[in-house]
Amino acid sequence: MEERTAPESIRQAGPNQLEILWRDGHMSVYPVSYLRRACKCAACVDEWTGERLVDPGSIDDGVKPVRIEPVGNYAIHIAWSDGHTSGIYAFDYLRRICPVERSKSEDD
Amino acid sequence: MPFGSKKTVDSDAILSVLRTVMDPDLKRDIVSLGFVKDLQIKKGAVSFKVELTTPACPVKDQLQQECERKVNDVPGVKSVNVEMTAQVQSAAPAAQPRGAVLEGVKNVVAVASGKGGVGKSTTAANLALSLKQSGASVGLLDADVYGPSMQMMLGIKERPQVSDEKKLVPVDAHGLKVLSMALLQDPNKPVIWRGPMVHGLLQQFLRDVHWGELDYLVLDLPPGTGDAQLSISQIASISGAVIVTTPQDVSLLDARKGLETFRQLKVPVLGIVENMSYFVCGHCSERTEIFRHGGARKACEELRLEFLGEIPIDPRVVVGGDEGVPIVARDPEAPAAKAYQEFSGKVAQQLSMAAAEVAPEHPPIMPGRIDWE
Repeated sequence: MEERTAPESIRQAGPNQLEILWRDGHMSVYPVSYLRRACKCAACVDEWTGERLVDPGSIDDGVKPVRIEPVGNYAIHIAWSDGHTSGIYAFDYLRRICPVERSKSEDD
Repeated sequence: MPFGSKKTVDSDAILSVLRTVMDPDLKRDIVSLGFVKDLQIKKGAVSFKVELTTPACPVKDQLQQECERKVNDVPGVKSVNVEMTAQVQSAAPAAQPRGAVLEGVKNVVAVASGKGGVGKSTTAANLALSLKQSGASVGLLDADVYGPSMQMMLGIKERPQVSDEKKLVPVDAHGLKVLSMALLQDPNKPVIWRGPMVHGLLQQFLRDVHWGELDYLVLDLPPGTGDAQLSISQIASISGAVIVTTPQDVSLLDARKGLETFRQLKVPVLGIVENMSYFVCGHCSERTEIFRHGGARKACEELRLEFLGEIPIDPRVVVGGDEGVPIVARDPEAPAAKAYQEFSGKVAQQLSMAAAEVAPEHPPIMPGRIDWE
């Protein structure tokens, strides 16, 4: 497994943050509402065009996970407080949308 | 000290020669790996255990002989008794946490193929039985929901029972714990499963079955790359997948697709085994290569995968399958049975190597489940 996309640990850090430590030593901290808006499931993103079907503004800022479960070796599943349960977040994807790395590459 | 006292043997001397005995797969010596147990020395009689990571270790005998020879050469040693044992380690990348699916199962091995008709189920049955024969505790789940065949291959007549905890209890066949869709349905009706139903069914087979403590659970997957492969890879943490091919190019092409599917799902691929590889004449034992041969080996080199072996065509394999006694149990000395045993040893070896990589520096990646507070 590639170290960049293999988590060493996943835990709740504070009331609104999910923290993932990756095997390459990088730490990603995700505001949970950001993750809810980044859901890639077929109800949130059109499977053919990739178009986002849900307006990010319609998602409540106070949304929280209810529980997070592993999906095989490659992903996690998050059940949300707003009743949305179809999202599977692959580790590759989570690393790609890491807020820290994202803002850095935008600065360049 | 009385004059002429004999040199006594101490454990340091024994351990220092055992430090020169290397495990060829883990590439470390057996002392630093912690394999040497219960070392006892009584008046020059040395005895100890070597605890390997799999009873199916292909180099078990070599290691035993090397230990005996080297310890025997230590001055003062009169006799050596080495007992080979095994403690199977878990190779699951997301080590099955407490309360998770398949909690008591150390290794989940998926047997897959890019297309049908390559002898995947026969390979799965013989793999499970060979691991069992080496002394491991083994389960076999026929996850080929579209064309289950294990009840026939293993000669199962009874139906699984339901335990007090409302869990299905696998059926015992040749010492294996077996469960198959075929044991729950009318054998004369085909199964038409829609995607979501397949997912639900496999979830039940993995969650609501009393598998108990197992060293290996072998999964016979349906051919191809579809719902079942995806579902299984989502529900359980698979330690490794074995891809079965035949010498024809088209099946190799399909094998590559299977490989890519597993890579995306982060299921480690242990290697490729080539089935129906060549024919051994029953009269003169001459080997005939009916198809162009060696394709799987070449593909393994290209894809940087372990080549897990080649299984000859042998009519006895088919007869064994039809009669419910796979060839490794029915005719363990036959060339095809030997080939299956060798292949199984390599699978166990690959899993041990994966386990050595996973543990202990890499603890489970998730605590099983996070309940948000």
